[in-house]
Amino acid sequence: MSFLDFQLAYSGVYANMRMVHVLTSVVGTKCELKVRNGVVYEGVFKTYGPECELVLDAAHRKGPEPVVGPRHEDIVESIIFKASDVVVVQFKDIDLNYAKKDNFTDSAVSARLNGEHKEKDLKPWDGGEQHGSDSLESLDADMSNGWDPNDMFRFNEETYGVKSTYDSSLSSYTVPLERDNSEEFLKREARATQLAEEIEASATYKARVALENDLRSEEEKFTAVVRAERESHTPSGRENKYVPPGQRNKEGLSWGAGRQNSPRMVQSNNNVPSTRPGPHDYSLSSAADRVLNGGATWPSPCPSPSRPPSRYQSGSTSLPPRATTPTRPSSRPPSRPTRPPSHPSVHGSSAPVSTMPKRMSTEGPLRMSPKTQRTPRAHRLSSSRGGIPSGVDFIPHSAPVDASIPPPAHSSMSGGTWSSVVSGGEQHSDLSLTHRPRSPKQTTLGSSPAGSCPQVGTTPIDPVAVPVSPTTASLASNQAITPSTEAKESRVQETRQMSPVANKEIVKPVDTSPSIGRPVNKGDTLYLTFPASHEASTGDKIAPPPPAPTMSTATPNTSISPGSSSSPSSPSSSASPASVLCPAPEYKRGPEVTSQGVQTTGPGSKLDGQEDKEEKKDSVQEQVRKSTLNPNAKEFNPRTFCTQPKPATTPTPPRPQGQPSPSVVVPQPPTVYSQTVCFPQMYPLTPVSPGVQVPHMTVSQTKPYRAVPSMPQQRQDQHHSQGTPTMMHPASATGPSIVASSPAYSAQYFTCSPQQFTSQTLVQQMPHYQSQHVFSSVMQGSARMMAPPTHGQPSLVSSSTTQYAEQTHAMYGKCPPALSVSKLLPMSPGPIPQSYSHPSATLHAQHPQPSATPTGQQQQGQHAGSHPAPSPVQHQAAQALHLGTPSQQQMYSALTPTPPSMNPGPNTQSTQASFPSAQQAVYIHTQQVQHGYNPSHMAHVQQAHLQSGVVPSHHTTPSHPPMMLMATQPPGGPQHSLPQSALPPIPVSSTAHFSYMAHPSGITQGTE
Amino acid sequence: MAAPGPGEYFSIGSHVSCLTCLGQRLQGEVVAFDYQSKMLTLKCAPSSGKPNLSDVVLINLAYVSEVDVINDRTETPPPLASLNVNKLASRARTEKEDKLSQAYAISAGVSVEGQQLFQTIHKTIKDCKWQEKNIIVMDDVVISPPYQVDNCKGKEGSALSHVRKIVEKHFRDAESQKSMQHSQAQQTQKDSTLSS
Repeated sequence: MSFLDFQLAYSGVYANMRMVHVLTSVVGTKCELKVRNGVVYEGVFKTYGPECELVLDAAHRKGPEPVVGPRHEDIVESIIFKASDVVVVQFKDIDLNYAKKDNFTDSAVSARLNGEHKEKDLKPWDGGEQHGSDSLESLDADMSNGWDPNDMFRFNEETYGVKSTYDSSLSSYTVPLERDNSEEFLKREARATQLAEEIEASATYKARVALENDLRSEEEKFTAVVRAERESHTPSGRENKYVPPGQRNKEGLSWGAGRQNSPRMVQSNNNVPSTRPGPHDYSLSSAADRVLNGGATWPSPCPSPSRPPSRYQSGSTSLPPRATTPTRPSSRPPSRPTRPPSHPSVHGSSAPVSTMPKRMSTEGPLRMSPKTQRTPRAHRLSSSRGGIPSGVDFIPHSAPVDASIPPPAHSSMSGGTWSSVVSGGEQHSDLSLTHRPRSPKQTTLGSSPAGSCPQVGTTPIDPVAVPVSPTTASLASNQAITPSTEAKESRVQETRQMSPVANKEIVKPVDTSPSIGRPVNKGDTLYLTFPASHEASTGDKIAPPPPAPTMSTATPNTSISPGSSSSPSSPSSSASPASVLCPAPEYKRGPEVTSQGVQTTGPGSKLDGQEDKEEKKDSVQEQVRKSTLNPNAKEFNPRTFCTQPKPATTPTPPRPQGQPSPSVVVPQPPTVYSQTVCFPQMYPLTPVSPGVQVPHMTVSQTKPYRAVPSMPQQRQDQHHSQGTPTMMHPASATGPSIVASSPAYSAQYFTCSPQQFTSQTLVQQMPHYQSQHVFSSVMQGSARMMAPPTHGQPSLVSSSTTQYAEQTHAMYGKCPPALSVSKLLPMSPGPIPQSYSHPSATLHAQHPQPSATPTGQQQQGQHAGSHPAPSPVQHQAAQALHLGTPSQQQMYSALTPTPPSMNPGPNTQSTQASFPSAQQAVYIHTQQVQHGYNPSHMAHVQQAHLQSGVVPSHHTTPSHPPMMLMATQPPGGPQHSLPQSALPPIPVSSTAHFSYMAHPSGITQGTE
Repeated sequence: MAAPGPGEYFSIGSHVSCLTCLGQRLQGEVVAFDYQSKMLTLKCAPSSGKPNLSDVVLINLAYVSEVDVINDRTETPPPLASLNVNKLASRARTEKEDKLSQAYAISAGVSVEGQQLFQTIHKTIKDCKWQEKNIIVMDDVVISPPYQVDNCKGKEGSALSHVRKIVEKHFRDAESQKSMQHSQAQQTQKDSTLSS
C-alpha cells in the first residue's frame, strides 16, 4: 500500500524533493503568512499539501499592534491556505539543522535516498588486492595490539633504566592458594570442583557463556553492510601482544584450549601431581604451573589476550574452588601459559593441515577454537582435568571440543550445546579445510568458481557439465560413494550419532571414538594431540569424541562437498586431499553445470545415501532421525559456526552438516531459508545475488562474514560470470555458493530436516538463477510486502510461510514435522491459497493427488523439468504452475494428513509421506513464489528466467523427490532432538528473524 | 521578468532578489523551487542575527514583480539530510500548545510584561503554565501579577531562588534592551537626518 500510495502521492510539491525537504524541516515553527490582500497570519506551520497548500495551526490574524499577543478567541485551530492565496511566508530564525538526523549511521546513510524508494545496496569496502603489510587489512589481520609487554619492559629498562616490578602472580592483588595434601584441603578442592562442574553443566551457565562468548562483534550483528568473510588473521606474529576482547574470540582453538586447560586443568594438575609447590613462591609456583599447564612456559608476565577470557570462565567455573581455597592465583598464571601454548598448538595444527592453504587452516582452527572452547568447557573439564601436559594444548582443544559436544547434547540444548555443536562444526571445518583448503573458499564463493581465477577456467567446463546434471544424482551417489569410505563412515557415525543423540550421552562417546580413528587424515598433529589428551585426560572416551565429531563432520562434509563444494571449487578439490579428490573428478565432469547440477547432486547424493540407510533401517532410521534431531540441536550452535563460518569455509559449513549427517540434511533447508531471507534484505537488487546472497546469508545468521573472505571474491566471480558469455556461470556460481552456504548454516542452525529442505530448495533454486533471484526478490518483496500486493507477493508470502513452517519445525523439534506443517497451515491458509491461485488455479486440482505420495511428487517435479520452455518466462511460468500447483496441493495434503491429527487430510499418507510432501510443498512454494514473483518484480528475475531457460532446472527437479524423502526422515529426528534444542536462543533468533519476515507478510495477506 | 517561464528554473544555491506585489523585497539563497505552484523558497539572513539560524521565506512567484538572480550557482547542491519527522511533529505540537497557552493568558488579561516574563521563563523552564494571571513554575513557584522578583512565592528552596534569578535577569535584560532600543532609535534618527 505504501509503495503505490507513495507513487500516487508524489505529485505536485511532493515530487519536488528539495521543496519537500525545506518545508518539512520548517514544520513546527512559527511563521507569518502574507495573503494576497496584505493580511498577515501568524501560526505554527503544521504541514503542506501536494499543491503547496499550507496549513497553519493556532493561527491568528496579525494585527498592526506588534507586541500584544493574540487573544485566545482570535486563534483559529487550523487554517489551510491555498498556494494561490499566499504571497509570502516568512519563517524567522529557523534552525534548519533542527531535525537533521545523524549522518553516520547506516540507517542514516541509507535513508539519504529521499526520493528514491529503493533500497540501497550497501557494499563492503574493497580496498583491492594490494594490501600491503601496512594496509588496514593487515592491521585487522594482525591481532596484536601494540607492543609485546616483554618488549615494553625491556625497552623501558634499556632506555630509561626502569625496572618493572611486575609480578605475574599478582601477589599485590590476590593471595596465592595454599595447597597442601591435607584431607581438608582435598575435600574442599573436590567440593569446589564438583560445584564448578555443576555450575558449568547448567543450562543457564551455558546460555550465559554463550552470550558472553558471542564472537560476533557489534558490527557483525548489526551492520547493514555485508562483509565477505575476512580472512582470519592468525595472531602468529606477536602472540604475546594484547588482543582486544573482540578479536580474542577469533583465535579459536588457542583460546578454547587455553580456557579449558587453564582453570580446571591447572587445578587438576595441581592436585594430582601436587606439582604446585605452594602458595609461597609465587614466581616459582606460577612458573611451574605454567609449565605444567601449558607445557609451554609463558615467560611473559602479561597474560595477554587469552587471559581475560580464561579468567572469566575460570572465574565462573573456578569460583567454588576459590572460595574454598586460595588456588586462584596459581590457576591464573597457568591459564596464561596455557594460552600461549595454545597458539603454538594452533599453528602446529595448521601446519599439519599444511596441505590446506594456510589461510584456511589458520582460520579454521582459530575460529573453531573459540566456539569449541565455549561449549566444551564443562565437559572438557572432566576430561581435561586429567591434566594435559605441555604440548598437549592442542589436543585439549580438539578433544575438549569433541568431548564437550556430546555432553552439550545431553545437557540442555541451550547455549552450551550450541557451543559444543559449533565446536564440532568448527572442527569439521578444520578438517574440511585441511582436506580441501580451497574448497572452503570456493564454497564460500559459491559463485566463486567462476569468480575465482581457477574457477574461471572451470566455468567454461560447466557447460559440459550440464549433461552431467541429470546424472548428477548418480554422480552424487557415486561421489558419495567415492568419499564413500568417509561418507559411509560419516553416515555410520551420523547414524550412530543420531542414535546416540537419542540415547544421548552414552552413544555419542562411542561414535566419537570411532570417528577418531578416521580422522587420521586430518593431521598427525591432531592424532598426537588426541592421544595425549586421552592420556592426560581421564578417559579415552572423552578424547575420542572430539575427533570423531570432527571426523564425522569432515567425512560428511567431504561427501557433501562433492556436490556442493565440488562444483564451486574444482580447483580446490584438486588441492584438497583425498576427500577433495573425489569432488574434483566430479567437478571436472560437470563443472559449471555442476554448480547447479552439483548442488543438486550433492544434496541428492547425500539424500540418497541417507535414504538408503534409512530404508535399510527403518526402525533404526526413526531412531536415527530422532537422534539426528539431537545432532541438529548441536548444530544449532550456529553462533560458533557463524564465527567459524566465516565463511571462508563456507564449504566447511556443509561439512558440519555432514556431521549431523542426519541433521545435515534437515538443517540446510532452514538455513537456506534464512539465508534467502537475509539476502533479500541485504542485497535485494544485486544480480549477483546468488553469490552475494550466500555471504549475506552467512552474515545475517552468523558472523561468518568476517570469516568469509569470499565475499569480494564472490563478487568478482559474479563479475566474471557475467563477463563470460555463458549465462550458466553466474548461475552455477551462485548455485554452488548457495548450497555451500546453506549447508553450513543449516548445519549450524538446523540439523533437522530443514537441511534436506534446503538442499532441495537449493538444488532447485540453484539450477535456476531465477530461483535465487527470485528468492532475493521475494525476500525483498516480503519486506515490502505491504506496498504492492502483487501476485508475486502472495506467493512470496506463501514461501515465507513455508519457510516459517520449516523453521518452526526446526524450532519445535518435538513437534512432528507434520505438526509443524499443520501449524503452517493455519498460518498459511490465507496466503497460500492466494498465491497459488494465480497461476495454478486449474492445475491445482490436478496436482494435489500426486502430492500424496513422494513418487507423485517426483513425477510432478519431473513434469516441471520436462517442460520445455519456449521462452524462459513462459517456461518458468509453466514450471511454476506445475510445481506450484503440486506443491500447493502437496502442502495442503501434507498439512492435512499430518499425523498430528490436525486434519484428516485428503491424503491418507503415512506421516513420513506427509512429511516429504510437506517439504516438497515448501520447496515448491519457494519456486512458485519465485516464479510468480519474477514477472511482477525484478529484472533480476527476468534474467533468472533467461538463465533458467538456458539451463533447465529439471535435472534438479528429478533429484528433488529423493531429497524430499530424505527431508522427511530428518524431520522426525529433528522433532525429537528439537525439543531440547528449542531453547537455543541464537538459532531461534535467527530463525525467528526470518520467520518473522515471512510471518508479517503472510499475516498481512491473510488479513487482507 | 516576473515568474519564470516553463523550463526556466532557479538553480539551487543561487542568490535571488524578489520584489513582491506588496512591495516587499526579499533576497536570499534559493533553497527550493517548485514550478507548478511557483513557490520559491529562499534562505535569508536571520532576522535575529544569530549565525546558526536563518530565515526561510516561501515566495509565491505569481505575486512577484521582480526576480533578479544576483549570482548563479551551477554546482550541484549538497545532498539532503534525512529529517527526524517525529521531532518535527513534536515541535509543531508544543509550539501550538505554547501559543494557545499564551493566548489563554492574554485573554485572561495578563500584562505584556507578564507575557514577556512568561516567555523568558519558558525558555529556561519548560514546566511553567498560566493559572489565571499567575505564572506557575514547576508547580512550585507562583509568580503573581506585577511579576517582580518579590512576587515569586513558594517553598523556600533552590527552585524558588532559581526562579527569582530568572525573573531578576529578565527585567534587567528588559531594561538594557529598552535602553539599547532607545539608543538605536536615536542613532537611526541621526542617520536619517544626516542622510537626508
